[in-house]
Amino acid sequence: MFEELLEDIAQKNGLREVNAYVKLATGLGAIFLCLLSTSYFPPLFITIVLTMAILFLARVDARTYAELFVVPLSFAIMSVAGIILISGGHDLFWRWDILPAFSLSITRQSINQGVYVFCRVLGGMSGICFISLTTPMTDIFTVFRRCKVPETIIDLMMIIYRTIFILMDHVVQVYQAQVMRLGYSTWRESLHSFASLCGAAFITSWESGEDLIQAMDARCYDGKFALLGETRPVEKIPCLAVGIFLMLSVAVVILSGSSTII
Amino acid sequence: MSSIILEARNVRYRYPRGMEAVCDISFHIRKKEKIALVGPNGAGKSTLLKMFNGMIRPDSGIMLFDNKPIEYDITSLRMLRKRVGFVLQNPDRQIIAPTVYQDVAFGPTNLGYPENEVKRVVTLALRHVGLEGFERRPPYHLSGGEKKRVAIAGVLAMDPDVLVLDEPTSGLDPSGSEDIMELLDELNHEGKTIIISTHNVELAYPWADRAILLLEGKILEEDVPQKAFGNPEHVRRAHLSLPILLELYMEMQKRGFQVQGKKPHTVLDMMRCIETVVQKTARHTCPGTITVCNVDQHGQGTVTTWLSFRSGIPVGAMGTRAKQRAENEQIQLDFTYGVIDKCILKALLGEDSLIMTTENMVDRVYRRVDAYVKESGIPVVVKMMDGGSG
Repeated sequence: MFEELLEDIAQKNGLREVNAYVKLATGLGAIFLCLLSTSYFPPLFITIVLTMAILFLARVDARTYAELFVVPLSFAIMSVAGIILISGGHDLFWRWDILPAFSLSITRQSINQGVYVFCRVLGGMSGICFISLTTPMTDIFTVFRRCKVPETIIDLMMIIYRTIFILMDHVVQVYQAQVMRLGYSTWRESLHSFASLCGAAFITSWESGEDLIQAMDARCYDGKFALLGETRPVEKIPCLAVGIFLMLSVAVVILSGSSTII
Repeated sequence: MSSIILEARNVRYRYPRGMEAVCDISFHIRKKEKIALVGPNGAGKSTLLKMFNGMIRPDSGIMLFDNKPIEYDITSLRMLRKRVGFVLQNPDRQIIAPTVYQDVAFGPTNLGYPENEVKRVVTLALRHVGLEGFERRPPYHLSGGEKKRVAIAGVLAMDPDVLVLDEPTSGLDPSGSEDIMELLDELNHEGKTIIISTHNVELAYPWADRAILLLEGKILEEDVPQKAFGNPEHVRRAHLSLPILLELYMEMQKRGFQVQGKKPHTVLDMMRCIETVVQKTARHTCPGTITVCNVDQHGQGTVTTWLSFRSGIPVGAMGTRAKQRAENEQIQLDFTYGVIDKCILKALLGEDSLIMTTENMVDRVYRRVDAYVKESGIPVVVKMMDGGSG
């Protein structure tokens, strides 16, 4: 399961013991700078640095990391192709009049625009990946509480986080049981099986809900949910590294101005 | 005999639109008892267990806790649930929080303990079940046995007087089941009353002080395990199997062997039965010595050194901390369950053995061995390990 995989990596990565705020500052800062930048270069720079950090500091398997990019990148490539072909400009390289009122063209401006968008996608993705691969949800809950997110929402999030895996487990089991009994052999059959899978998942979640209330009552539930009190100390070296990274990135953003690739 | 802690008087319960799950049951449980509720699926075990902490309110009849009728208003129920801890059958259903620490802290937090107190009891509870260092782990990263331990720790953190466990060994492998039973033994030794429901006759038989056989919402037998399981007809009706020890004993009786003494409760008892029949004990040599090592007194490494002088000596560990120590020192354990009896069996063969255990369990070794010596007249010697600071 993909979700489980991401959490698994986050639970075991090399930067697990670094303070969550430091990691969040890195990821969010990177995304923010990518959005702020008017040139293609700063997002590219951020992507490279964060990728290095993910691969060598957090020691995430390169293949897994690359796989994470496959889906968003394929979307990005499609949209960038669209941007390049449709958004016009004056330095014309290539042009094709399909219809009298509609033509496709590649211009200097459209290429610049496309590359810029593409790099921003890369930068944003690497920022998100950095957070999701190094900071487990459990740490993020603690941060949420510090940030005064309402308790009810955090409690709900924690219960959902906990039950997702149970439900997922159950769905996988039901699915496998169906496959073993050739549940997805024909189109009609798969439709039928999928419907009963959904039904089973619904009933399970309903039952788990009732069990959850019982389990909470059995332990004197009084509207309180404990949070992992301890937060890891903000250490000097990671803090310094993040400071340098963000400062460098800001410098790159400023220096690169709105330079373009061609 | 200790005082009664839980009592049911003519309790009945019917599920809405269902059959009667519990019909007119009365019984009592004393402090520090180990009770096994045994019966087939649908016998009403879980329903009965849920009455102990007020999750289910009987239709008629009363439940008493500490000689006072259970009241069903919110405040009294909270007090009751603090004192009667309930561990569900499926730990996945019981573990509600995203990390081990948060889950174990759930009860204490809701009881309104201050934060450092919560932290203290959680650490203690996790230490108790042998899961130190698991605080930050998410539950789906744990094995079945570990999840069960987290569930138990979550209840232990509230420091209940009574622990109620629904099928504590379901879904665990044999050694995992034995570990859990051993943990329950340890908790019982510290003064907690323990009630379990199970189909596992072999585990319940030597473990329980008393067994209650349930069938179709009624009590079929209620006595010490030797008697509760002693009626093959009842055992068959309850869709259970005879404990192998009892079956062996009965088969010997049927074949006209003059087996004396009470029915065997453990393998040790069985050996005595057999030896009296054969009229000749298997003792060729004088019995071996059992050495007890208190891991709380002896520092790291002493056991390893001690063992290095006595290669091949069987080692057993009793209690979570002792087992952890053995693991730390990479000592191969021969016995982890029913340790004392197994060491006595070794001693009878003339072999020495070592029991690693914790401070509060030492006297249990002495008591068990003394009881055996008195009963059998065979002088098995127990001594404390010397050296170290002890």
